[in-house]
Amino acid sequence: MLPNFTYERPGSVDEALEHGSSEGAVLHAGGTDLLGCLRDGVFSAKKVVSLSGLEELRGISPTRDGGLRVGALTTLTGVASDPTIAERYTVLAQAAASAASPQLRNQGTIGGNICQRPRCWYFRGDWHCLRKGGDTCYAIAGENHFHCIFGGSGCYIVHPSDTAPALQALGASVRIASRSGSRTVPIESFFLLPADDIQRENLLEPGELVTEVLLPPVASGTRSVYRKVRDRGAWDFALAGLAAVVTMPGDSVETASLVLSGVAPKPWRAAEAEGALTGARLDAETIARVVAASVAGALPLEHNGYKVALVRGLMEETLRALA
Amino acid sequence: MKYYLEWPEPDPTNLPPPAQDIEPWGETRVVGKPLPRVDAYERVSGTALYTLDMALPDMLHGAILRCPHAHARVTRLDTGRAQAMPGVRAVITAATPGAAIPWYFRGQGPTSMLFDEHCRYAGDEVAAVAAETPHQAILAARAIDVEYEVLPFVQDDAVALTPEAPAIHEGGNILGQETSGRGDVEAGFAGADVVLEQTYHTPCEIHTPMETFVTIARWDGNRLTVWDSNQGVFGIQANLARALRLPLTSVRVICNYMGGGFGSKLGLSKYTVIAALLARTTARPVKIALTREESFICVGNRAANTIKLKAGVKRDGTLTALDAVFLGSGGAYPAGATSTYLVQALYLCPNVRVEDNEVYTNAGPSRAFRAPGMPNCAWALEQMMDALATEIDMDPVEFRLKNIATFLQINDTPYTSIGLRECLSDGAKAFGWSEARARPRGRGHVRRGVGMAAGMWAYPGDPRATVIVKLFADGSVNLNMGASDIGTGTKTVMAMVVAEELGVPLDRIQIEHADTGTTQNAPSSGGSQTVLVSAPAVRAAAIEVKRQLLELAAAQLERPVEQLVFQDGEIMPADAPDQAVALADLRGLRGRQVIVGVGRRHPHPEGKIALPFAAQFAEVEVNILTGEVRVLRLVAAHDSGRVMNKLTYENQVFGGMAMGIGLGLTEERILDSRQTGKVVNANWHDYKIPTAKDVPIDQTCVPIDPHDTECNTTGAKGLGEPAHIPTAAAIANAVYHATGVRVTDAPITRGRMLSALAERRGE
Amino acid sequence: MGKDSDQTRSQSGISRRNFIGTLGAGALGAAVAGPGTATTQEAQSAADGHLVVALRVNGRQVRAAIEPRHTLLEVLRDQLELTGTKPGCARGECGACSVLMDGVPRYSCMTLAAEADGHEITTVEGVMQGEELGHVQQAFVEHDAFQCGYCTPGQVMAAEGLLRRSPNPSIEEIQEGMSGNLCRCGAYAHIFKAVSRAAELKRGGEV
Ligand SMILES: Cc1cc2nc3c(=O)[nH]c(=O)nc-3n(C[C@H](O)[C@H](O)[C@H](O)COP(=O)(O)OP(=O)(O)OC[C@H]3O[C@@H](n4cnc5c(N)ncnc54)[C@H](O)[C@@H]3O)c2cc1C
Ligand code: FES
Ligand code: FES
Repeated sequence: MLPNFTYERPGSVDEALEHGSSEGAVLHAGGTDLLGCLRDGVFSAKKVVSLSGLEELRGISPTRDGGLRVGALTTLTGVASDPTIAERYTVLAQAAASAASPQLRNQGTIGGNICQRPRCWYFRGDWHCLRKGGDTCYAIAGENHFHCIFGGSGCYIVHPSDTAPALQALGASVRIASRSGSRTVPIESFFLLPADDIQRENLLEPGELVTEVLLPPVASGTRSVYRKVRDRGAWDFALAGLAAVVTMPGDSVETASLVLSGVAPKPWRAAEAEGALTGARLDAETIARVVAASVAGALPLEHNGYKVALVRGLMEETLRALA
Repeated sequence: MKYYLEWPEPDPTNLPPPAQDIEPWGETRVVGKPLPRVDAYERVSGTALYTLDMALPDMLHGAILRCPHAHARVTRLDTGRAQAMPGVRAVITAATPGAAIPWYFRGQGPTSMLFDEHCRYAGDEVAAVAAETPHQAILAARAIDVEYEVLPFVQDDAVALTPEAPAIHEGGNILGQETSGRGDVEAGFAGADVVLEQTYHTPCEIHTPMETFVTIARWDGNRLTVWDSNQGVFGIQANLARALRLPLTSVRVICNYMGGGFGSKLGLSKYTVIAALLARTTARPVKIALTREESFICVGNRAANTIKLKAGVKRDGTLTALDAVFLGSGGAYPAGATSTYLVQALYLCPNVRVEDNEVYTNAGPSRAFRAPGMPNCAWALEQMMDALATEIDMDPVEFRLKNIATFLQINDTPYTSIGLRECLSDGAKAFGWSEARARPRGRGHVRRGVGMAAGMWAYPGDPRATVIVKLFADGSVNLNMGASDIGTGTKTVMAMVVAEELGVPLDRIQIEHADTGTTQNAPSSGGSQTVLVSAPAVRAAAIEVKRQLLELAAAQLERPVEQLVFQDGEIMPADAPDQAVALADLRGLRGRQVIVGVGRRHPHPEGKIALPFAAQFAEVEVNILTGEVRVLRLVAAHDSGRVMNKLTYENQVFGGMAMGIGLGLTEERILDSRQTGKVVNANWHDYKIPTAKDVPIDQTCVPIDPHDTECNTTGAKGLGEPAHIPTAAAIANAVYHATGVRVTDAPITRGRMLSALAERRGE
Repeated sequence: MGKDSDQTRSQSGISRRNFIGTLGAGALGAAVAGPGTATTQEAQSAADGHLVVALRVNGRQVRAAIEPRHTLLEVLRDQLELTGTKPGCARGECGACSVLMDGVPRYSCMTLAAEADGHEITTVEGVMQGEELGHVQQAFVEHDAFQCGYCTPGQVMAAEGLLRRSPNPSIEEIQEGMSGNLCRCGAYAHIFKAVSRAAELKRGGEV
């Protein structure tokens, strides 16, 4: 049962920002996450502001610098099946294709995907947890099979998005519009940890909206891959996933971007692993070093220790395939 | 133990002997064919009306307020605010006249009530509301003010056994403790070459049929009609009549199309009684449809089991002893939790001891769930058999073939037929077992393996069923039977039996079913009994119609009945087919306009028992870096007697295996046991039932028909449950074969697989 | 009736009339099925907040007065009385409510009715050709691709959407394409075959 709210479908971004700034307003892109949250009482809304009338937020087009602009309202199906993305930004196409279910991908947007709320079952259920303004994180002493092993403090959610780590591995940025103007933020700094803000997963202020995602040009010879592990074959978030973007002009790795999903409250850059990989030859010894580095600093909770092994396994499998 | 709420013990002694001597079928012309369902059109076109689709004029909607605590006492309850909410027409509580209905029984007396101030799990019913819209009802239920005294709760089965545990019902938490067996297990172990011992665990699983739990109740004076999504209208009727203290004639229960039950819709549930009470209070029809979340919490589950199993074997493959300790909890209001049956019955073993412990815990109630207790038991026994085979270096199929029991060892009763040997050998052949086992398992991080498991089902069915077949003047037929069609194809199979006997095309058979007001008593559709109980009754009724037609024809043709044959809807003298009379041309039929045949199921054969058997084979791929397990293919060989319809038979087998994949790999209810005691994954995202991508494309069904002429007059045995029993264990054995790691806790999630692999590497 | 059904035999060979004989107690169900009362009462109490949406449902233009919070699923079932579309979970986790919006499958429970304004909606009732079954439905019948049938309308719509997008899918594509629809009865193996067969029928293969 959805609670009562009013509904607006503005025709321009300015109008949307206007509506979005009113008290209790929430933005609706595809609605696939929003409606679930409202139904479960995760948060409430006085007004639902639909973005679906904003044609300018749709579509994929090249940018002047040779990169790509992906409108925030582009559906995940649209992202996954775009030939340019599939060819040059494979990691993103694969990530989009691995999310949720076919119907949800037809409806869910890339903007909504990176802004969706976490899936912690205490947060989504009727526990008044820390992230909802309560005073307890139930995951600490409770059923934390799917919670984070990196970046937790106070709250132990994992960021749910599959596309976010891919975007981060690609060095993407997001364009944010607000009534005071617009700005572009590297996606790396878009997401927040609980230590930054325990009730928000990104730096959007009320009334702000993501208009597009900007992908930088890719160097030739770049290889990228998204590998996701989940408990069932479809319709399931990542237990852990790895977005890897690597350039290897000769024998050794020139640049490496390794971003994990499902293990931290935001897409998690495996910085030590990247360090161990950059400049090295992709041989068994390097792989062993990178694998070990990928879980440096991991702090598993009682039931999610397997994620440490899983990250190692993902890293090893992916690097072996790239070698 | 017994799932006593749903299944009465079969009592063949009180059944009349068969009215006619019915010969077994030889070659059949309709039965066994892969025919599409008679109601397929309705089901695929969206025109089939499920209870959830129905609405009555002036209908109200009900909602139930449930206790949010795992264990609590209601100390104050105020409905004032709720009563004043818009659209609210009634609020009922324990204090409402007529609502003091005893609900859960222990020994002789009731230990709890419909609305009980003592709430024993998070989800227990506290009060209910009827309002003009579903939204209003839910809002009003939330507006009921309740104060609870929160009590300490217990959810761990082992802790619940201890004397310090909070008492859930008067008389302590031990629901049952029973030891049974035969022979001398200690002597058996002494005589064994290899003895293994292992503890296995299976999760609590939730049925979650696709159509949620729903009832519409309407009173007409003192008579109640209930449209209800269930698996057996007569059981619901009897229990509802008892609860409301009404004669059976005042309670009519109807269920036409229903969207799945798997056991959860066998018994009467509180929401049905509550709908009836609300409808009586408001004098308007009331519909209650549980939410998806409620379907996870309060209408049944398969209890989690812990099974400690010790087994002894000689090097030549002879089993010498089995000793098992079972522990399970059906929650606060259990309908059974464990089944020791397979340990006692599946394999020939002279020395067996089983200890069965069932406890109460502060959790949602168990209900029979497709082969109650059996896939759990198979998970333990069949992994143990696999481990024993490895120890004595024998092929697992060969090992099982060596230990087939030809009679039911629990009570020394011979089987009417047993096709287990063929299930094992023909299944292995269809699977390519020996070759697949010999194939390299891979040296990289993706390993392949094969495994198998066997099983049998325990319930021969409750043989009470009466069916009426009416043949009309134009030769078309009405089939009137009480059985429900829960998706297994009951209507289709029964119509095929009529078609077989009377030569009427399927599209000229009208079916009335599952309505206590217009059809005849039949047992519920559970326990894999529907076909083997109702089909013989249908056959008997059709044959009775045929007998009467032959009499009419004898008069018309002036020939003795013995000289006549019935063929393709015509009757003719055996020696003069040219004198054939079409049914519609029978003068006697035209005179009467209808021939009515009543058929009854005959009793079970004396001194024998008819049970189905199965063996299933799985090939899996395990990624040892990520813990991913993928089922690549499945082969199921089933002795369920005669195949009544090849299409629905196969479908049933594949469906059972899909559910088995859930037990083996993905499904598990998780309780917040250390904090609030609530279910954390009461939805289809967090509780993971298999999707299209979790089942293999490559699935094969190998029917084994032992041509059983004794089990009943159709030769069919049960199929629904056995299809589900061995799958999870077969997968676990394949995982072992692929990796050398035994995962004894189900389901084998990625996490469990990884942990087991790490443990073996000594991490 | 034998003759009758021969005459009305459709191209697909399956028309409502062939099946009508089996309706049985369903006739009773039909007699009592009526409009849901879910919306009328509230409509008055929140009259000011109402929206009027224009949808094209199964080729028919309809206008409905809705509350902003009403989902497409609720409007289809309770207002338009199209009960073929089933609720399973009401939160995007089962697929029983799948419909096509502008030819693309989505969950009607996760779609605000207001969002469907101006769009073309196709439900299971809309893939029928009159009283004849559509290709996907016919293939589902042939291959017994359901048990209880409750998930079936959603499965049919997912398959319809899949085949419109990809007329000749591989079996793996079918598996992927149908992975947004749960079937608790586990009829998946038959569903795969049925979708394959439906593709064949749609391409004008053997009927
Ligand atoms: C059962 C289920 C399973 C799922 N599985 C996965 C999975 O495996 N992997 C995965 O990645 N996702 C998964 N999802 C999430 C799904 O992919 C997201 O719901 C979808 O991508 C969100 O897109 P949307 O357009 O529908 O967002 P909406 O629901 O419309 O919005 C989501 C949130 O983002 C905000 N928002 C949306 N657009 C903008 C914008 N342009 N600017 C600012 N804020 C905005 C909204 O206010 C809202 O809070 C699953 C969802 C469900 C229901
Ligand atoms: S009802 Fe829409 S997905 Fe379940
Ligand atoms: S046929 Fe019953 S859920 Fe699919």
